[in-house]
Amino acid sequence: MAKLALFVPCYMAALRPDDGGHARRVLERLGDEVETIVGPCCGQPAFNSGYRAEAKSVGRVLLRAARRHETIVTPSGSCASMVKHYLAGLWAGPRGASIERMAHRFVEFGAYVAAHPNVAALPLRLAGAVTYHDSCHGRRELGLTEGAVGLLEQIEGLDLRRLAYEDECCGFGGAFTVKEPEVSVAMARSKLADVASRGVRVLVSGDLSCLAHLEATARADDQPLETWTLAELLDRALA
Amino acid sequence: MSGFRARARAEIAAGPPAATLSPILRKLVADTRAQLGTASPSDARARAQEARAYAVDHMDELHDQLRESCARNGTGYHRAATAEEAVAIVSRLLGDARRIAKSKSMVAEEVGLTGSLRLQGREVLETDIGEYIVDIEGRGPSHITAPALHLNRARIRELLAGAGADVPDDDPVRLSRTVRDVVAEFFADVDAGITGANAVIASSGRIVIVENEGNVSLGVSRPDVHIAITGMEKVVADEEAALAVLQVLAPSATAQPLTAYTHFLGGPEEGKERHLVIVDNGRSEILADERYRDVLRCIRCGACMNACPVYTAAGGLSYGSPYMGPIGAVVSPLLWRDGRHDDLPSASSLCGRCTEVCPVGIPLHRMLLDLRAGDTGNGGSAIERLGWKSWVAAFAGPQGRAASWLARLGLRAGGNLPGLPGSERSLPAATPTRDPAMLIPLDSIEPEPAPEPPAATLPADVVAFFRERAAIVGAIVTDDAGSEDGDRRVRATAAVASTGSVLLTGEDASRAALMDARRIVVEVDEDAIVRFPQDLAPSLAAGGDPLILTGASRTADIEKRIVRGIHGPEALVVVVGGGA
Ligand code: SF4
Repeated sequence: MAKLALFVPCYMAALRPDDGGHARRVLERLGDEVETIVGPCCGQPAFNSGYRAEAKSVGRVLLRAARRHETIVTPSGSCASMVKHYLAGLWAGPRGASIERMAHRFVEFGAYVAAHPNVAALPLRLAGAVTYHDSCHGRRELGLTEGAVGLLEQIEGLDLRRLAYEDECCGFGGAFTVKEPEVSVAMARSKLADVASRGVRVLVSGDLSCLAHLEATARADDQPLETWTLAELLDRALA
Repeated sequence: MSGFRARARAEIAAGPPAATLSPILRKLVADTRAQLGTASPSDARARAQEARAYAVDHMDELHDQLRESCARNGTGYHRAATAEEAVAIVSRLLGDARRIAKSKSMVAEEVGLTGSLRLQGREVLETDIGEYIVDIEGRGPSHITAPALHLNRARIRELLAGAGADVPDDDPVRLSRTVRDVVAEFFADVDAGITGANAVIASSGRIVIVENEGNVSLGVSRPDVHIAITGMEKVVADEEAALAVLQVLAPSATAQPLTAYTHFLGGPEEGKERHLVIVDNGRSEILADERYRDVLRCIRCGACMNACPVYTAAGGLSYGSPYMGPIGAVVSPLLWRDGRHDDLPSASSLCGRCTEVCPVGIPLHRMLLDLRAGDTGNGGSAIERLGWKSWVAAFAGPQGRAASWLARLGLRAGGNLPGLPGSERSLPAATPTRDPAMLIPLDSIEPEPAPEPPAATLPADVVAFFRERAAIVGAIVTDDAGSEDGDRRVRATAAVASTGSVLLTGEDASRAALMDARRIVVEVDEDAIVRFPQDLAPSLAAGGDPLILTGASRTADIEKRIVRGIHGPEALVVVVGGGA
């Protein structure tokens, strides 16, 4: 039984607080002992907008909360990528090096579950059809696709219909959707058309940020769509 | 509102660019992937990257060498520090030339060459079909390798009709040939040709130019003066390095193995002039900045924009720069230091697809991050800075403040959905309801077929594969070419199996003779067939102006529809012989 911290990032705590619970239950079913860190921000929104000092002030709070944990699991490919690839770079010298080492202790939820020694024994069952979308950070910077798809394929009764253009961005991009809403929405619509072409109405992703953006756009366009995080899907498949 | 946003908004409102671009670019991305799987060895990208990285790391040294090589072969080497200087040098070299045939050059766009020369009273014709069309339209190119990509055939017909052409319908073949005829007529009497360059070779002083239509072949052979204008970064060490670049260039740009014509141009013919104008215009400054110097590896293939979802959604004109897409978002604020393009680095969702496809390994999305953080390329306002201050206060402070801050901003800031007046995107419910019925598939909807997987790799029998590939690229492969009027019979110095190409050298490579022929009949010795373009290096060692032919001339400037037989011979006939 591993001891770990579950880091529920700021936007998840605010937008869909239950997802933290879903992730926690899945981890506990794997036999782990879970402590939660709810609500800090990895600093990515400011970092991606070019405000590095601001990102650093905010990321520091997360690092402080995570310091004493050996493994920090987070149900967000985007935050995991920020911590693993960019955060340490904001500090110079030995401080940066020590944060770099600590950053390696962060792992994305789907990747953690997929690699868990007890995963094969999870009784996963859910009848229905879904499709799957990766966040770009999850796909390109962390290589999460295979692990997540493997988990979905492990669910008995689940009809997983892969998108035709799975590696295309949904258009969220954090501050991008605020700065360039028209282009961002055009990209979301392209993704939603792909989803609709699969004949499914449930979209699963490791990243709630992509999902919130897509769901908001689908709703405004009257496209019926439920968006589930991978954590929610796995939790429901265990129930 | 940023300039990019304003333009993108207008473009999307006028009819979403993605409607035209998305199917074309999705196919192009899939085809490029397949092409790189067959036309080039598996380490092609690594080789190209190495060749370009070497050039960037030895820029001054290679230019010293290039200058000497040019002096040796009789090509004029000229260096322009600024855009103004580039225009001045070209003007001086042109002397009193009146009629100028110009082919595609991004650097010419960058320095505003065509407009400046016209202001001097010269007649400049854009001879590339796509460039000709966007020149009439007057809004500039929307893609670095397919300038008229934003225009559909109906609009192109309108433009050509407006320019006085007789176009009964909007068939891309007819539209392409209409422009071809205008260009061909212009070439009957022309004083100078201006081209770009895809690479310049330090060791030999050769200028490498790729093209499909044959307008470059005409432009470098018909007039007495040829001026190639290009960026300082385009230098490569030697022929081998140039081949490493070529091996990924056309696959990444147009999903072709190589373009129809690949020119290696040494010194001018007797009695003619050839000049190379090397433009700095801010590149030295980029070279000196560790964060961005690797962007100078760029070979302007356009793969990053082909793969870019923001480019697809917004269209190339939204960037408001001659360089669009991810490469444009990086390089524009660096080339124009007056801030005019500082909003472009923010015109990206940072999805990283550009970095993934770039054949020379430029970390484009990371450079966008650095640009946003630097004093060049952060188009942020004072209000935005204040916003981030309040964000820090919320997130670095006591718990709970963050959530309310988020709720206040949230997706609301995304604003109204364009085209849906009165309807706002709003945050999804915090506790979503789940309807079991939503899990039931709607099987009535036909799933789109997923893109084809890449084809198999090069088989061991190079002769058979050469025949197959030559036919695929549009050559006529036969054992008996017969003999027809207007045949030009030549013998290939070498041929390339993976691309179906033939290499002509010496007198056989004479552009003038080839362009006047009706058919080119090339004899290929089985023993002369190599596997990949990179294997041609030894055959390029002798002097002269080698030419690689890959299929007959073609264009795909209108909706990416391939139209064969533009300038020059209608057919390339290949006869494979059983060795000496
Ligand atoms: S940045 Fe890379 S992909 Fe984009 S045009 Fe340059 S070489 Fe091609």
